[in-house]
Amino acid sequence: MISFKLNGLEVQIQEGTTILEACRFYGIEIPTLCYNEGLSPYGGCRLCLVEIGTGDKAKLVSSCTYPVEEGLVVRTNTKRVISARKMMIELLLSICPSSKTIQDLASKYHVTKVRFRVKHEDCVLCGLCVRMCKEQMQSGAIGFVERGYKKKIMTPFNIKSDVCRLCGGCIYICPACQLRCQGPDAQTDICNACLSLEPSCINTHEDYQCWMATTGDCGTCEGRPDQVKKKDNR
Amino acid sequence: MKQYRTHLLVCAGTGCVAAGSFEIKKTLEKEIKKLKLHKEIAVISTGCNGFCERGPIVVVQPDGIFYQRLKKEDIPYLVEEHLLKGRPVKKLMYIPPAEETPIPKMSDIGFFKHQRLIVLKNRGRIDPENIDEYIAFDGYKALEKALTKMTPQDIIKEIKNAGLRGRGGAGFPTGLKWELCQKSYGDIKYVVCNADEGDPGAFMDRSVLEADPHAVLEGMTIGAIAIGAKEGYIYVRTEYPLALKRLEIAIKQANEYGLLGANILGTGFDFTIKVARGAGAFVSGEETSLLAAIEGRIGVPKQRPPFPVQKGLWKKPTNINNVETWANVPQIILRGAKWFSEMGTEGSKGTKIFSLVGKINNTGLVEVPMGISLKEVIYEIGGGIPKNKKFKAVQTGGPSGGCIPKKLLGLPIDYESLKEVGSMMGSGGMIIMDEDTCMVDVAKYFMNFLRDESCGKCLSCREGTQRMWEILDKITKGQGTPEDLAVLEELAVAVRDASMCGLGQTAANPVLSTLQYFKDEYIAHIKFKKCPAVVCKEIISSPCQHTCPIDTEAPQYIAYIAKGQFRKAYEIILKDNPLLGVCSRVCHHPCETKCRAGQGGDPISIRALKRFAVEHGNGKHIQKKKRKPTGAKVAIIGSGPSGLIAGFYLAQRRYSPTVFEAQTIAGGMLALGIPGYRLPREVLKKDIERIVNHGVEINTNQKLGRDFTIQNLLNKGYKAIYIAIGAHKSIKLAIPNEDAEGVIPSMEFLTRFHLGKKMKVGKVVAVVGGGNSAVDAARTAHRLPEVSKVIILYRRTRAEMPAYKEEVDSALEEGIDIQFLTTPTRVLTKNNQVIGVECVRMKLGDIDDTGRRRPIPIKNSEFIIKIDTLIQAISEQPDVSCLGANHKFRVSGWNTIEVDPESLVTNVPGVFAGGDVIRGPSTVIEAMADGKKAAEAIAKYLQGEESRFTYEVTRPSVYVEPVRLEIEETLELTKQETRRLRPEERKNNFREVDLGLDKRSAMIEAKRCLRCDLEVKKEDEKKEKI
Repeated sequence: MISFKLNGLEVQIQEGTTILEACRFYGIEIPTLCYNEGLSPYGGCRLCLVEIGTGDKAKLVSSCTYPVEEGLVVRTNTKRVISARKMMIELLLSICPSSKTIQDLASKYHVTKVRFRVKHEDCVLCGLCVRMCKEQMQSGAIGFVERGYKKKIMTPFNIKSDVCRLCGGCIYICPACQLRCQGPDAQTDICNACLSLEPSCINTHEDYQCWMATTGDCGTCEGRPDQVKKKDNR
Repeated sequence: MKQYRTHLLVCAGTGCVAAGSFEIKKTLEKEIKKLKLHKEIAVISTGCNGFCERGPIVVVQPDGIFYQRLKKEDIPYLVEEHLLKGRPVKKLMYIPPAEETPIPKMSDIGFFKHQRLIVLKNRGRIDPENIDEYIAFDGYKALEKALTKMTPQDIIKEIKNAGLRGRGGAGFPTGLKWELCQKSYGDIKYVVCNADEGDPGAFMDRSVLEADPHAVLEGMTIGAIAIGAKEGYIYVRTEYPLALKRLEIAIKQANEYGLLGANILGTGFDFTIKVARGAGAFVSGEETSLLAAIEGRIGVPKQRPPFPVQKGLWKKPTNINNVETWANVPQIILRGAKWFSEMGTEGSKGTKIFSLVGKINNTGLVEVPMGISLKEVIYEIGGGIPKNKKFKAVQTGGPSGGCIPKKLLGLPIDYESLKEVGSMMGSGGMIIMDEDTCMVDVAKYFMNFLRDESCGKCLSCREGTQRMWEILDKITKGQGTPEDLAVLEELAVAVRDASMCGLGQTAANPVLSTLQYFKDEYIAHIKFKKCPAVVCKEIISSPCQHTCPIDTEAPQYIAYIAKGQFRKAYEIILKDNPLLGVCSRVCHHPCETKCRAGQGGDPISIRALKRFAVEHGNGKHIQKKKRKPTGAKVAIIGSGPSGLIAGFYLAQRRYSPTVFEAQTIAGGMLALGIPGYRLPREVLKKDIERIVNHGVEINTNQKLGRDFTIQNLLNKGYKAIYIAIGAHKSIKLAIPNEDAEGVIPSMEFLTRFHLGKKMKVGKVVAVVGGGNSAVDAARTAHRLPEVSKVIILYRRTRAEMPAYKEEVDSALEEGIDIQFLTTPTRVLTKNNQVIGVECVRMKLGDIDDTGRRRPIPIKNSEFIIKIDTLIQAISEQPDVSCLGANHKFRVSGWNTIEVDPESLVTNVPGVFAGGDVIRGPSTVIEAMADGKKAAEAIAKYLQGEESRFTYEVTRPSVYVEPVRLEIEETLELTKQETRRLRPEERKNNFREVDLGLDKRSAMIEAKRCLRCDLEVKKEDEKKEKI
């Protein structure tokens, strides 16, 4: 067992645990995007940052990849952490504002403006699909290509993969594929709706609609008539 | 062994090879054989000498003579003169910039004198492809000691005590790293050498590998003994083919001699080294990426812990160090930790290699002890900034480093001090920047590099560098907003905090350090839409127009002249400048200093072309009838260029400006200071007439303080006042007997002369000072019939004289004696009349923290000059006594009136000020620009509007189609000089000296213009084809 200090509390955890796992164990909430319990940690989204160390030597590390060490001092909500986290969310919004996952993060962490040019891409390079395909589906059909701002995820040489079994695991796990209720071409860059308790569906319905039967009013499932109940049949 | 009487060491580093040193070597060998000297003289190729600016280099030993910039054609003469006849060839030796005497010996040259070679001790001395030469200079002795007389613990202790820190950039204590690796559990361990050297501008590792590869091999072997490794890798970037070649040869030879491989020196210790090649990624210089690359995986950094010393290459304990770090090791083992730790500072021991590049005279590689000041490296070793330009910043540490401004030049170089000021040591790159470097553009350049090289894993680094680049790009295009600066800084801090590896963590440094020290440049780009260094194309359009304080459209009138449309040229100039005749004679043409044609060629004679247009384009121009003023009354005090322009633009806006001039003639310094041989009075008269006809009333003989006060003006109904009284009170020299008869301040001398007042001037006149008023006074005095000799006494050197070069040249042509490095100490009098002046000679002392050498008097060098008249012209100040004893204005320590920089309003509402009275002695065009700005500000004030100004990027107002030229024609275009009166023709008269260009020359000169304005699109695509 390793002893370390977590937000001022002296705690103990098994050797080999990451800071994120330890925080989850002790009920401390840390936002994540590219982390999934069933897959190896990647440390790319930089949302799970925590501050370790003290004084001049204090620095921010991704808690999903950092193994707990004896005597480590961890603080999860310092000023540095909060401002870095908010900037990461703002950057994510500027890449892919159509993702509900990202919009929820913005609502929850009170990110209210996007000051960068919005790119409207459909991938935030979190790598979940790559790890899903390789580790869970034992396939490895897709991977990262190129570096820096040109980085992409695709099959080798962008040709049809002969190991892809069309399982759909990549789509399932993708946070960008979880569209917001205004659909992929929403007019605003930020909605600050659901988790801020201001969703548009409440204007016309009694309940939140994303988990009730879909009525087609929010526009997400347009074009899927079997999913749409007629208005008077509500 | 063969004994030679002389060795010729030909530098064969990449730089010199590119300049042709292999050819030089072949030619040397040929010539030596021809003269049958080949049994006495050996020719050896060595590694880089470091003085890359001066290649190809040959050093003659044992004489120590240094030959530079050699060409194939020089060799036969060199061989015959020096090697056969024993006469070293002076014209092939090094001459420091701005000096004339050559320095024969390498050890006397500033570049080499101040260096301390540890790592580079063998450079330029041995043939790197011959292991015997390395061994001859104590090579592999340290390895022998380490293997036979020391335990691994002894070795680690020695390195620890020496205080060696990683030379790759982060500066981690090397001894500690070795100890951690040695203690790690495992029987398979690796040592790795990082020779990726990705920083742009850094070439020290390349130099070491090309000049002395065995130093690295020996260091790695010693490290392997200490740590317990049997295999080592050197990761060299693929872009270093010569380094790779020399390494392969060195490894092969070391293996053959039993100094590498199995059973080294018969002790049973095995250690092999393999070379791995990079594949073009900057991020692979980061240690975890590098190890991944050696393993054959993609070069992407990994979270640490675990650190490489715990789990590195193939998950085994690995000690990875930089080339320079490894090369230090043999010396430390051989000569001891105590010797090493005596060099450097408390926290940073030993020496460091720096690559001195950019705007510096002596570009090259230097090794200096830690703790040396930046100033010493840049000026003593580097030889200062070329073309006498002003130093602006030095960027250290490559793209991960920051820019250090002029005020920190005294900073001692070590790991901590550089970090404290927002930069870092990094690999040791030092990029020098001067006044022509735009700091915003520099930040953008590095951000472009980093976003390209980011591995892309971390959101913060991948997106952050991209977004920072986007914002900087916007700013350099003139589209920046004030909010952009706040976002940029916030984003930079977030990228620094949130990124996983060193690339991302330091990516913010170029942005943060330029924001810290050069914020005014950012504000200039964002708010004023100006690029002070005249670099950012989308903002400046053409450098000449952008630099002009009144936005004169030079490319347009030059283009019209090239097409023979002189009238149109005249009109375009007149549009922005009612004093165009004056400017065409006396403007100091800042446009020409930034002219693109002048970079590597001759700048266009923009002012001479302006004069041509004024003289030839003003054909049937009808002077407008005198306007009747209608609007509010505005009082302007001073009829110099500033006041005249303010009046013109106020009249244009329908106000009623009245100019009050203290003297009996209008024009200010134009009429009273600048002599007629520079500015003919008819030209001035015409320009003033134009302004008066536009609706400006000028009342002469009205002096502020004597004839009226500011309050009087307000009482009389003037709604606003513009003070433009100039700066013409000459400063005293503060030497004994300065108040004697015959000592005249230059401003008084020139004013009295131009007003036709009588003055007593003797035969021999001395003028003290080096500025334009000194030269004006000197050249005017020289023309007086009673004067036979004029001497100018200036305390600094010719290169530092502030007067315009053309003025100084003309003064010398006319026979005026200029005594440089001379200061008067006493005025000698008889009956209170000047009879002579005692002077002392000066010499340039040490470089101060601003990079200039202060002149200091040479003891016992006093001498006396017999003179009749002494003119003080060291500087001028405004005379604010006329404002009255109870004035409420804020006046600076230099007697200038303080105003708001944008609206030129003083602290008294409705009262504005501009020109020399707010700037101190300055230039005509800047005074005019103030006048124009003041007119706009006064108009806003009178309309009750808020004093807010909008600024726009520079663009021409009209599109002039360029002249089409054939290739032969362009080759024939050479710089045309204006015709000038010969010195004999100038004697005792005030005829204009510069006679301008004739039609043929003007059109040729105009055709030389590169039309920089055509590269940038107009804002609104509105084009008028001519």
